[in-house]
Amino acid sequence: MAYEQVKVKTPLILRLLPILSIITFFGTWQLVVDWEIVPSTMLASPIQIFQLFLVKWTEVNPDGALLSQHIWTSVQEAFTGYLLALLVGIPLGLAMGWFIVVEGLSRPIFEMIRPIPPVAWIPLVIFWFGIGISGKVFIIWIGGIVPCVINSYEGVRMTNPTLIQMARTYGATDWQIFKQICIPSALPMVFGALQIALACCWTNLVAAELLAADVGLGFLITMGRKLALPDMVLLGMIMIGLTGVVIGVVINYFEKRLLAGIRR
Amino acid sequence: MDGSEARKTKIEVRNLTKRFGDLLVLDEISFNVGEGEFLSIVGPTGCGKTTFLNTLSKLIPSTAGDIFIDGEIADPKKHHLSFVFQEPTCMPWRTVRENVAYGMEVKHVPKVEMEKKLDQIMGMVGLSDCAGLYPNQISASMLQRIAVARAFAVNPDLLLMDEPYGQLDVKLRYYLEDELVRLWEHLKSTVIFVTHNIEEAVYISERILILSNKPAKIKAEVKVDLPRPRSLIDPRLVEIRKEVTELIRWW
Repeated sequence: MAYEQVKVKTPLILRLLPILSIITFFGTWQLVVDWEIVPSTMLASPIQIFQLFLVKWTEVNPDGALLSQHIWTSVQEAFTGYLLALLVGIPLGLAMGWFIVVEGLSRPIFEMIRPIPPVAWIPLVIFWFGIGISGKVFIIWIGGIVPCVINSYEGVRMTNPTLIQMARTYGATDWQIFKQICIPSALPMVFGALQIALACCWTNLVAAELLAADVGLGFLITMGRKLALPDMVLLGMIMIGLTGVVIGVVINYFEKRLLAGIRR
Repeated sequence: MDGSEARKTKIEVRNLTKRFGDLLVLDEISFNVGEGEFLSIVGPTGCGKTTFLNTLSKLIPSTAGDIFIDGEIADPKKHHLSFVFQEPTCMPWRTVRENVAYGMEVKHVPKVEMEKKLDQIMGMVGLSDCAGLYPNQISASMLQRIAVARAFAVNPDLLLMDEPYGQLDVKLRYYLEDELVRLWEHLKSTVIFVTHNIEEAVYISERILILSNKPAKIKAEVKVDLPRPRSLIDPRLVEIRKEVTELIRWW
């Protein structure tokens, strides 16, 4: 192929500035605590958090589980809900975009459920499922399904109408057009939904765990609050952020691979 | 219709009428097309050429009248219709070869037969070299060739073309017109070619129907009885071009 990859160098300043900003941020934070500008009952220093981070890999107390268990539980819950959301949301959205009957039947209910924040389901979910994994999965599922449906629906709707006409003149059936034209054409939007839905799932997971859990990163924060340990609260927060970033990077990698596979 | 007397009538259009609310666009259009004939339809801008084609191809229902193929009412699911649109219609997720194969896939042409046909037609339109490329890797004229190749590949009962070369520059257009004529001579399809380019119509077709201003009716019919290959500066061709231009004038 005649196309050559052109490498663009990131300017030095753009590589230095992020490092500088991180150092300044954590440095200031450390000093604010060290100089007791903010009392240590209200804020833990980065070094304390890092120490707790190391300890929590081997120490179960005081919250009852290792850090790895908290992370693993949260990831499990998030991914179960996420996969279920993809499994139901994407086919539903695609079908809503093409089949009038499906849209007519599911649209009103979908529009009714959509504005309810997933967190509002928590009390009901505790009645129904208790504080086990299934209840949290349900809340995550409810949150994740919305972007899946919307993106898949829009993706089908954005199909080039001339392509549909072209298929019609060859005598393609509705099902053939849906399968051969609409779905491939909606794929980039569907892949977009993977990222958005994941962000929704992860956010809702933490909300769910804050209220009803006995293990998980959200639960770690709750325990930190109950035991008045700011370092534990902050550790929970940071771990949620970091795990979210890692998952985001992984999904992004798969999205790129998939998109490259269909070459658009 | 002396032009098609010798051959069997393939397509029969009877009293084709299309109204959008109060707006009458097509007014009882009737004509026949012989088997394997190359018919052009020209008309002033905005006379309803595209509506005419969309109605012919059954993309939009007619208000009255109908189109018959071999005496039966045309049905895209039963008859082999092909349509080449003004804009290229390539699926960006399929390779060039897979794009050309699409029409045959819809019609469930057996695999072996399809591969054979693909090899033949891709060679004829000069797409063999870029068979494995994706549409975003090839030029605009190549894109339109895909549509033309796909249309001929299904052995259409009727091939409709809606100014397929309108957006290309003159040189490429001449080239692709020659290619189209070659394909048609070779594959003997029945073609209705709609254009606003009079020279193009005279150069490629056997017969030209001239539409009037809206509501469109057939205003005149001109036979182009010239041997091929034709030359654009042939005095007889120029004469016919002038005749058609006179007929089409709306100023």
